[in-house]
Amino acid sequence: MNMHTQPQRTPAETALIDAFGDRLSLLPGDGAVMLKRDDAIEAIKHGLPTRRVESWHYTDLRRLLSVVPDFDPTALAKAVAPIVEGSAVLPVLNGKSEAKVPAIDGVAVQSLSEKLIDGSIAPGLDPYGSDDAIGALNTAFVADGYFVDIADGAELEKPIELQNLQAGGQTHVRLAVRVGAGAKAVIVERQAGDGAALVSSVSQLVLGEGAEVTWLIVQEQPEMATHLAQFKAHIGKNAKLTLFVMNAGGKLVRQEVMVKTTGEGADFKLRGINLLAGDTHSDVTMVLDHAVPHTTSTEIIRNVVTGKARGVFQGRINVHQYAQKTNAKMACNTLLLSDDGEFSTKPELEIFADDVVCGHGATVTEIDHDHLFYLMARGVDEKSARGLLVKAFVAEVIEELDDETIVEALEARLDEWFVTHG
Amino acid sequence: MPAVQDTIDRVRKIDVDQYKYGFQTEIAVDKAPKGLSEDIIRFISAKKDEPSWMLEWRLEAYRRWLTLEEPTWARVHYPKIDFQDIYYYAAPKSTPGPSSLSDVDPELLKVYEKLGIPLREQEILAGVQKTDASELEEPSDNVYKSGRVAVDAVFDSVSVVTTFKKELAQAGVIFCSISEAIREHPELVQKYLGSVVPTSDNFYATLNSAVFTDGSFVFVPKGVRCPMELSTYFRMNEKNTGQFERTLIIAEEGAYVSYLEGCTAPQRDENQLHAAVVELVALDDAEIKYSTVQNWYPGDAEGKGGIYNFVTKRGDCRGDRSKISWTQVETGSAITWKYPSCILRGDDSSGEFYSIAVSNGYQQVDSGTKMIHLGKNTSSRIISKGIAAGFSQNTYRGQVSAHRKATNARNFTNCDSLLIGDQCGAHTVPYMEAKNSTAQFEHEATTSKISEDQKFYVMQRGIPEEEAIALIVNGFVKDVIQQLPMEFAVEAQKLIGISLEGSVG
Repeated sequence: MNMHTQPQRTPAETALIDAFGDRLSLLPGDGAVMLKRDDAIEAIKHGLPTRRVESWHYTDLRRLLSVVPDFDPTALAKAVAPIVEGSAVLPVLNGKSEAKVPAIDGVAVQSLSEKLIDGSIAPGLDPYGSDDAIGALNTAFVADGYFVDIADGAELEKPIELQNLQAGGQTHVRLAVRVGAGAKAVIVERQAGDGAALVSSVSQLVLGEGAEVTWLIVQEQPEMATHLAQFKAHIGKNAKLTLFVMNAGGKLVRQEVMVKTTGEGADFKLRGINLLAGDTHSDVTMVLDHAVPHTTSTEIIRNVVTGKARGVFQGRINVHQYAQKTNAKMACNTLLLSDDGEFSTKPELEIFADDVVCGHGATVTEIDHDHLFYLMARGVDEKSARGLLVKAFVAEVIEELDDETIVEALEARLDEWFVTHG
Repeated sequence: MPAVQDTIDRVRKIDVDQYKYGFQTEIAVDKAPKGLSEDIIRFISAKKDEPSWMLEWRLEAYRRWLTLEEPTWARVHYPKIDFQDIYYYAAPKSTPGPSSLSDVDPELLKVYEKLGIPLREQEILAGVQKTDASELEEPSDNVYKSGRVAVDAVFDSVSVVTTFKKELAQAGVIFCSISEAIREHPELVQKYLGSVVPTSDNFYATLNSAVFTDGSFVFVPKGVRCPMELSTYFRMNEKNTGQFERTLIIAEEGAYVSYLEGCTAPQRDENQLHAAVVELVALDDAEIKYSTVQNWYPGDAEGKGGIYNFVTKRGDCRGDRSKISWTQVETGSAITWKYPSCILRGDDSSGEFYSIAVSNGYQQVDSGTKMIHLGKNTSSRIISKGIAAGFSQNTYRGQVSAHRKATNARNFTNCDSLLIGDQCGAHTVPYMEAKNSTAQFEHEATTSKISEDQKFYVMQRGIPEEEAIALIVNGFVKDVIQQLPMEFAVEAQKLIGISLEGSVG
């Protein structure tokens, strides 16, 4: 958290600290878990991070988090249809997991509250650093979620959709997934709702040797919601993770992606699209650690900024000293479509090994006038031509995903955004 | 490098002999007592015979400095600096004016001779005295005959000699030490000093504003193209001194000037502080080209000693269609903390930054630039080449921003890093901030080692490995070397070779 002691607590900081006192007796967890909660709230007492904290340079949480709603036990969130038909749905409604969940072959599902009560999740609750405000907030308040264990060798035919749906108040959810050696799965993380909630959501994923996972984060919070999310993954030997992030909602959004390659031959792909409208502040921050030799990664992020929206992408690739033969590439492209919008990006490389090939590229630009001219010369009016080009710009990233049903499902979400936001 | 152990061994072999400017010269000096206080500032100001407004300006900066904290965000690590354990003023006892050159301490002239500074040795210095401009135009037989260079030499805290003053004056160009400028041209100094880097700018700039002892002043009036390259050589000689120079360059409407600074220091076990401030002002249609060859003592093979180089350099493209170009070759200093920047205020103005940063041994470099686009149709270009060897850390840190009204701002950034050995680190931290939809920013960065294919290609033509690597490294930095004034391009190329000696040959 913040290194400087704040002179005075903001209303949001006070509200969080008070809420912790009120909620404490209701929070599940054994001794170890409760100790971690205490540490976490201590970190929050030192103040939410400001722009002086490097990892929060463009998202001054202390200033931006102005309102913290109270917990609302009466809020009722409804499960929604999954984006891919036939998916096994595991809903978390207003911070509470369902007692009865569909049975899936080769998959064991437990509610996270059980894992908190028996303390087995405790080691995973530590924030990753002093600036991990989302981790601390979630650890302090997390009450439920799911723990999903996919057996070795299991190949899931249908996606699992983890839904985190809110209807106002506060929800603090954790979704932990372990994927066994050689297993294959598609997992959808759906973040949505219809209230002005404060949501903290942490997803933890561990990939065993040779496992292959496609994880889709589809964030469509309503325009008043505050969404603070974190995705953490460890990729084992020869395992492959494709992470797709679609951010298309929320008022204040921070999606952190913390990935570490832990076994040789691990491969990570990140594909992201951020669709920003209204006066949203949306921040995607990635830290990728290449910790062992012979691992590869590619990241492509596409952003569209309209209205008064402010977008941020921070991406850091760390190549550890012994991670020779790392091959890592990152690209961040932004279309800035409005003079009132802004976009800031900080693509970082931190390299301690010499035999590596690493690169990043970043661009911020408006629509290419030549492209526009090309379409308009063929009788397409300017508005439609612009629409076509913007859509093509982001759809390109979706099309890279091999699975046709997933591509179609995501394109449907994309179309919906374009219908609402023109 | 494929043979990692081999590289480490070779890097280990780096010894102090490599730094060929590490000699020290016994010269009688006039020093202020150690430490920093208002009295010391009054002392410096009195020594410089400064007007009272200047003293007030310094004291205000000092009071402000007392309230500031040392910045810690850069990727450099060093023991805390004791600012009371530094001499803030040291001057060679004889302070020669151009009219009494024989007063110059012969030891001092020897220093510059050893450095190979184009003071044109004794006869040129003498020339300043005795001859008129026409005689000076005769080509001399030194290496710089292709182009003439006017030099201002700064030794510890004071400027000792400035050459070619007369001829420059004929063109209307003022080139003198800043102390002289404060006395002779107070109206210009008062108008521009601190207008680009305000006294409150940052910890080191504020410290510099309080205690700066000398530096160069250049004023190129309207429509004048400065007839020769201008150059300053900085030399830190005295033990425990800090060097705080201040450079101010003003190019009026339509003027052009090219300026080069070079720096060296003796080898010492303890660290020395260098905190300079450089301000450039370019009015309408003016162009300033500023080149730096920085070769302060980098410390020995164990990372002991060396210069802490905390420098604030900023150019203000105040006028429309103005242009400021920074070129730097950074091979020295134990720690480099330096971000030459451009504020693109005028419409259609442009800024450039070309940099080679070579680090070896235990050097730590955190350098880059800022391009702040404020005016319409402004453009900027950043080319940064970092080469890290030994146990060094080499960071590029840069910011490009377009403000709301900066319609059609354009930026292209390219930063490449080359790693030699697996004990060093290369880091890239660019910040891009666009607040205008017509802004167009492109950034690309790569990090790699010398590819086996490239090396094989060169070696199969019969070139030994070490030479092959040197050739490839030179190719890697070519884009930047080309930006240097020709006279210094050769020097810079050699310097890179020396800096990497023991790691690539």
